[in-house]
Amino acid sequence: MKHAIGVGLFVGVAAVTLAFLALPIVGIYVHTSPEKLLDQLSNPVVKDAFVVTLKTSLLAQAAILLFGTPTAYLLATRRFPGHSVAVTLVELPLVLPPAVAGVGLLAALGRFGLLGSSLSALGITLPFTQTAVTVAVAYVASPLYIRQAIASFEATDPHLTAASRTLGAGPVRTFFRVVLPLARGGLIAGLALSFARGLGEFGATIMFAGSLQKVTQTLPLAIYAEFDQNFDATLAMSGVLILISALLLLTLRIGLSWQRSPSSTSPSFFGLSG
Amino acid sequence: MSVRRSRLAFLAVVASLCLLALPAGPASSATGARAQLTVYAAASLTNVFPAIDKTEKYSFGGSNALAAQIEQGAPADVFASANMTLPKQLFQEGKCSKPVVFTRNRLVIVVPSSNPAHIRSIYNLTKPGVKIVIAAKGVPVGTYTRQVLGNMNLTNAVMKNVVSQETDVREVLAKVSLGEADAGFVYSTDAKTVSNKVTVVKIPAWAQPKVQYGICVVSSSSHKADARAFIKRVLSKAGQRKLHRFGFLPRVKPNRR
Repeated sequence: MKHAIGVGLFVGVAAVTLAFLALPIVGIYVHTSPEKLLDQLSNPVVKDAFVVTLKTSLLAQAAILLFGTPTAYLLATRRFPGHSVAVTLVELPLVLPPAVAGVGLLAALGRFGLLGSSLSALGITLPFTQTAVTVAVAYVASPLYIRQAIASFEATDPHLTAASRTLGAGPVRTFFRVVLPLARGGLIAGLALSFARGLGEFGATIMFAGSLQKVTQTLPLAIYAEFDQNFDATLAMSGVLILISALLLLTLRIGLSWQRSPSSTSPSFFGLSG
Repeated sequence: MSVRRSRLAFLAVVASLCLLALPAGPASSATGARAQLTVYAAASLTNVFPAIDKTEKYSFGGSNALAAQIEQGAPADVFASANMTLPKQLFQEGKCSKPVVFTRNRLVIVVPSSNPAHIRSIYNLTKPGVKIVIAAKGVPVGTYTRQVLGNMNLTNAVMKNVVSQETDVREVLAKVSLGEADAGFVYSTDAKTVSNKVTVVKIPAWAQPKVQYGICVVSSSSHKADARAFIKRVLSKAGQRKLHRFGFLPRVKPNRR
């Protein structure tokens, strides 16, 4: 009897939690008919925002992958003075309010920012450009990838790396032939989450890059701009973002289960397992 | 056991839905004391409204965004818009009382004090490479900006230099006063709030749009009498003097003799 009440309590609380999490998503899809949603997808504002979002996100993720992977490997395998400072620096954008990130980017890369005059000397002005959107996305999304990459590299079996080295492979060859394949699943999972976070970037983008259709107006910015103009369009764009985010989360789970099979240890992802 | 479990789960779901359906916010209005009002007001009123009455809660933003929030049931008592279109629209939908004009304004161009693009007149905005920031269409100041450009036949020449469409007038002002943009269209009253950071370039009087601010009591308000009293304070001599001091124009255009 006591047991039944206990279980019931857990089920009850879980049901409240799930209902709370599901309701806004259900609301978006119930608010209009599917035809109206599909109809809005041909709305030029929606189409342009989708293209800008995809372009800037892909570029930002490519940069995160290129710069984040070696950084993560270094932080995972070497201990040096200032190591924890470096890790904190990597993780900071994760907890910073996006508005603070926006102010910071303006103060650093704006026309009158820290590097502004040096950039102008090179003929580069970042604010209000698509590059500015990419920079904002890369700044706020990178910790999600780098954190997971560090965890994945730490979880690779050091004996395998050592074996590779004793068999005569250099550190670079070992990295590409042994470490990367072992960490592959975790890296994909991290990239998926970083991608999802980047798609939703709003605060830093609107402050640093502004909002202009076809140039800097990403889906979240367009949702905000259309909120009082065309509610159906905001619902359609929200619907699209939910679908993509769900797909990315699914990718993350598959990625994590991949990582589990080649290596015996399974990294945990913010306490989440595959 | 399993029946019991599913029943409990069902009850939990019902309970959770009831919880979610509960209206938010306090509903006490029976007391005699004057209630603190929630005033939704155009971003351009950010400085003057607290000077007229500092006891109320204010939510400043683009009038269009505020109107959309009121349409979705936001708990506002008073709506003060930078145009008459939005409050009239809410009035027709039964969402607010008949709006009255409480002040007027005029548009100006602001440039950073350093004036990097050497803007001396509105016609300089057509130079290639000038970074212009305006408000989005639908935001009252964005609509007025487009009217000015239309009146002066400059729409295409200026719009091609627009690098960002902001969500309210203060965002436009911020991008210019930070020096990130070369020029922006704002109200003359906004320019006054950062006169040390921006320089004003005037727009000819003949090209000025009719900028009237409308105010109304939100229909869903539970403090309607207090809300009406607030509007009276804004329309009163003292209220109008404050508006004048912040650079707003008298609510009725003085007759020329």
